[in-house]
Amino acid sequence: MRKTHKINTTDIEKKVMEKVTTNQITMKPRWYFVLGSTLMIAGLASFAVLATFLTNLTIFLLKKHGPNGQWRLQQIIESFPMWVPILAIVGIVIGIWMLKKYDFSYKKNFWLIVLAFITSILLTAFFLDYTGLDNIWMKQGPMKHMYQFNDEEVYRRGSGRGYGRMMMQNR
Amino acid sequence: MDDLIKLSDEAVVEIIRRKDKNIFSEIIRRYQEKLQRYASYLLSDDYLGADATQEGFIKAYINLNSFDVKKKFSSWIYRIVHNEAMNLINKNKGNFLLNPEIDYDSGVDLEDELIKRELISKTHKCLNYMPILYKEPLSLFYLDEKSYEEISDILRIPVNTVGTRISRAKGIMKKLCEKHTK
Repeated sequence: MRKTHKINTTDIEKKVMEKVTTNQITMKPRWYFVLGSTLMIAGLASFAVLATFLTNLTIFLLKKHGPNGQWRLQQIIESFPMWVPILAIVGIVIGIWMLKKYDFSYKKNFWLIVLAFITSILLTAFFLDYTGLDNIWMKQGPMKHMYQFNDEEVYRRGSGRGYGRMMMQNR
Repeated sequence: MDDLIKLSDEAVVEIIRRKDKNIFSEIIRRYQEKLQRYASYLLSDDYLGADATQEGFIKAYINLNSFDVKKKFSSWIYRIVHNEAMNLINKNKGNFLLNPEIDYDSGVDLEDELIKRELISKTHKCLNYMPILYKEPLSLFYLDEKSYEEISDILRIPVNTVGTRISRAKGIMKKLCEKHTK
């Protein structure tokens, strides 16, 4: 391929510089991009944390009323708050989309980054479950109401089974 | 002005950002032809190529403060124009023909002008069928003499993928020529 291809010349320089000098176009200030990057990092961290908590909540609810518990699978499906895992998946998807925006993402194997991101969320969620932190959060701290509410919801929607027992336990 | 010519792109960008916006014309002078050729090649149309280049320069100026001077300016501005060209491609899907005025060197020094013209004409036919995926790295590598690393930065694909696509593009080119120039 030769580089001698003659281009139909249009005076790009003149047109662009006219817009620059007459202030039809202006440079966005540096703080605009700093703010953008900061919000991006904060957003990514938030979605990662949200996905971790919701994954942990899913594990927490499944463990309490899972196939080895007192309910059957049919009842779990009927009563399980599906918005929790759905929202967890949405959080993961948005987190991955944000990761794709970063400069380093195309240099590495992107699927490996995605796998690492999902694995870290799952591992952290299982770690919270393993250490019993979710049980502590159910009793105290800012997450108390969220864990308690969803736990009660599962009982309530599960044809009332176990609800009375839960109320007894909570006394 | 002479001093300006000696400065690197990144240094010129620093001056534009801090002191004098009018120096942006130096950036345009440095890149207009290269970018317009690249965009025209991708879009198979000189006028669309000029549009993409002009829009690219405008976007580059507006977002100049987002450019990290530790990185290569050429990759950054190529990326912007590349995006503009891709936007135009998406807008005009299925409407791409290679500009018949574009000249490709076969790599063989042919004395006979007639044979040369025929070969060029055949090459155009082949390139008409070249998918955009392979057109991009091929033009950056051969027309703009960019390194694999720079192509990776412009196209936002790993360096290995650049190598694979260029290698495949050569194979595709050969097959296309065999198929369409008989």
